[in-house]
Amino acid sequence: MKDPYETLGIDRSASAGEVQKAYRKLAKKLHPDLNPGNKESESRFKDVATAYDLLSDSVKRQRFDSGEIDATGAERPRQRYYRDFAAEAAPGSPYENRSGFADFAQSDSFLAELLRRQAEQARFARGTDLHYRLTVDFLDAVNGASKRLTLPEGGTLDVAIPPAIQEGQTLRLRGKGAPSPGEGESGDALVEITINPHRFFTRHGDDIHLDLPVTLKEAILGARVRVPTPQGAVIVTIPKGSNTDSVLRLKGKGVARRGGHGDELIKLKVVLPSEPDSELDDFMSKWTPGAAYDPRRDMQS
Amino acid sequence: MIISRLEFLHRAGLDQETLQVWIEEQWLIPSSTAPDQAFSDADLARAELIRELRHDLGVNDEGVGVVLALLDQVHSLRNALGETLISVRDHPSSSDR
Repeated sequence: MKDPYETLGIDRSASAGEVQKAYRKLAKKLHPDLNPGNKESESRFKDVATAYDLLSDSVKRQRFDSGEIDATGAERPRQRYYRDFAAEAAPGSPYENRSGFADFAQSDSFLAELLRRQAEQARFARGTDLHYRLTVDFLDAVNGASKRLTLPEGGTLDVAIPPAIQEGQTLRLRGKGAPSPGEGESGDALVEITINPHRFFTRHGDDIHLDLPVTLKEAILGARVRVPTPQGAVIVTIPKGSNTDSVLRLKGKGVARRGGHGDELIKLKVVLPSEPDSELDDFMSKWTPGAAYDPRRDMQS
Repeated sequence: MIISRLEFLHRAGLDQETLQVWIEEQWLIPSSTAPDQAFSDADLARAELIRELRHDLGVNDEGVGVVLALLDQVHSLRNALGETLISVRDHPSSSDR
């Protein structure tokens, strides 16, 4: 990074007014929007703008002078310049101004033909695509749904969410974008989908994962319990002697995929009563576990 | 991305009145298909350019209009020239006419 005083071409004693004057002089020459085709002007302008940011702020300038911060002190994170948009503007942009060469069109048949063709193209140019973002609930993303999007520019847009849609997927709604500036087709609406997490389901590929709390009694003796799935609750048999981390697989209760559905994987979690239970205490104090029951056996060295 | 008037004011750091003047001067031309105006990223970049012209470069209000009109012509010329070059490259014979 060059010395900011050098970049602006001023000496260290320059007043605030002189700093601004020097910056304006350089910026008028180098501003990227005043040099649409010149890539080099952008990097030089950045240096100048950085130097100005530093030296126009009396606090920063003082800290730089005393060596507390370096010359990169405050590089402005710059978005795109207007010239980048103007360069890719579709014909028919509201800012288009062809008066600068209207006279050519009358004098030269080749140019006249070309301009006529361009005007034609502009007339039938497609409208631009509009981008939206839509957040859907977890279950709507799995099962599909129909949502109404309220548009920032007014109006609404009905979006059919297909089943099994994924985070970040983009739906293209033909002809729902901006109208053509002339008589062409409308652009498309592109809707990017964000999915809200669910309270207890998570999704891994086509499978749904669920942690299912079970009581000590259900785990030891087995039971039939209601288990939620994205399509509604079903009755599931917990086998006798199921432990925490045992996984039950419900075939076809997952997310739709080509030729079927994924599965729902239920991971059991044995949960003790949250309140002290004297009956359980009594029972346990009478119970003597067998010698084979030592869950920490692998940890002994 | 479509930007609503309110969001545009916020992101461009403008107040209602200033934006109204800029639109009346046609420095900014939002698409007005809906009751509320809709702005684009290009409009946002253009607003930033106008702000820099006025504050950083010391261009006065009369000057901003002149600069924008000339810039619009430059960009239209650049785009026309770009298309001309493509057209000449694709149909070399037509340039002999």
